[in-house]
Amino acid sequence: MIAIIRSEWIKLRTVRSNVTTAIVAMVIPLAISLLSVTFMGEENIDSGTLPGFIVGSGSVAVLLIGVLGVLCVTQEYSQGTIRLTLAATPSRPRVYLAKGVVVAVLGAVLTGFIVLIGNVVGSAIIDARDVPELDSNPDAAPAFLAMILMGAVVALLGMAIGALTRNPPSAITTLVLWPLLVEGIVGGLLSLAFDDDVARWMPFQSGLNSMFLELPEDGFGRWGLLGYFAAWVLFVSLIAERSLKRRDA
Amino acid sequence: MITVEGLTKKYGSTVAVDDLSFTVEPGVVTGFLGPNGSGPSTTLRCMIGLDRMQSGRALFDGKPYSSLRAPLHEVGTLLDAGNAHSGRTARNHLRWMAASNGLPAKRVDEVLEIVGLRQVAKKRVGQFSLGMKQRLGIASVLLGDPRVVILDEPANGLDPEGIRWIREMLKHLASQGRAVLVSSHLLSEMALIADSLVVIGKGRLIEQCTVDQFISRHAKKWVVVRSPQLGALVDLARAKGMQVVTDETTAELHGVESAVVGELAAGNGIVLHELSTQTGSLEDAFLEATALSVEYHGQSESAT
Repeated sequence: MIAIIRSEWIKLRTVRSNVTTAIVAMVIPLAISLLSVTFMGEENIDSGTLPGFIVGSGSVAVLLIGVLGVLCVTQEYSQGTIRLTLAATPSRPRVYLAKGVVVAVLGAVLTGFIVLIGNVVGSAIIDARDVPELDSNPDAAPAFLAMILMGAVVALLGMAIGALTRNPPSAITTLVLWPLLVEGIVGGLLSLAFDDDVARWMPFQSGLNSMFLELPEDGFGRWGLLGYFAAWVLFVSLIAERSLKRRDA
Repeated sequence: MITVEGLTKKYGSTVAVDDLSFTVEPGVVTGFLGPNGSGPSTTLRCMIGLDRMQSGRALFDGKPYSSLRAPLHEVGTLLDAGNAHSGRTARNHLRWMAASNGLPAKRVDEVLEIVGLRQVAKKRVGQFSLGMKQRLGIASVLLGDPRVVILDEPANGLDPEGIRWIREMLKHLASQGRAVLVSSHLLSEMALIADSLVVIGKGRLIEQCTVDQFISRHAKKWVVVRSPQLGALVDLARAKGMQVVTDETTAELHGVESAVVGELAAGNGIVLHELSTQTGSLEDAFLEATALSVEYHGQSESAT
């Protein structure tokens, strides 16, 4: 299993577009939060400002990481290497698992870097500005942890969608439209029809909400939201793994 | 040694490979011949588990491919040299394959050396010519030093030098005692490479035999004569019921042994300048054999 994971890691890092996507997935969210603390009015900065910006950029970060998850599967189909992969490792569940380990760890590491660099550089920026000493925010650490876990979960979701569609454009479109459009429309319509807050059952939205610094009192709670989304991703992953196992390569 | 038993592959209701059985012996190159679309590529994909077969099995030294934990050590496969990410370097392409089966990076450099790609190891595969990609594919086959080698249309699109290189490489691999199975529709090429043949038509086995046996069974034979008294000889031959095709200087006599023609000429005092037996090529034999299978299938389908 270690050998297959190593192999998948070599595959991921030796394609330039993957490396570019990974860098973009870190740089864009960091740029958003660091520019925000740089230019925000000094009188408005409090202990929740920097963590709020960092986890606020998290939704962009995890979507870009999801794209990376998509690419690591679909490029195997578009370039024909899937046949070499499956010839080298006939056990398809192992291939899926190894890929999953690699993209999940990478997703968590990338969001981890965003949290780390965002905090170090962001604090330095705030220190350099004319802001009074800030307390630490008690919600920051759990929100950061949720963001790091979301990096792993969305990477796995991207990979699952990639394995189901086998095609980069349709997989990326599905991944991006799911939270932005589908859940908005479906949630909205269901809320109208049932006169209830059905929107809160939308899985991707739940996952994104788990990264918020302050959560609504009456909701599932941070780990409930994240767990709910993770359960959906597990479900989609099982279907994707089954599809990989059953379909001709 | 490869043993294929009763392999059947269907796409919906279309039968692509129909109850196919054959064996591939070590130490020789076995050619896998079939008209395009008649199933060789599908068979190879099913054998290594890329496509699911509906029934039957393929065994490599007695084991199914799916039971091999590190298959590159036992079976080297090259289905399509284009199956490589164009953005990866040749070395990295081989490195991930090697890593998946626990092979060290040192082995990657060794096989790059063997196929003559060491100088371009750090170039991206997208910049490679077809011939270089084919060499890279052979390098990936050699990675695990396998006992069985399978190649699908390895000479496709190659220039004469590339074809010659592949041919010599395959013969070399077989001479080391490996079982080598090569599909191709380039029949003249197959006649040069292969010792043994598996011929299929419409997904069914037509024949498994040596190249020589196949030609002698299926290719036409005829006698060629040249003679200053050709007209007289042709008349005699026709009178004996032989099929004769003639032009001004030579005649081809079908369905007869050269000895009979020689005796006929001698008995009638006819001078011969040439008397020889000609045999059709592997291509002729193949077209003859597969044409029969196509007709047979056409009839059996219309009958049902």
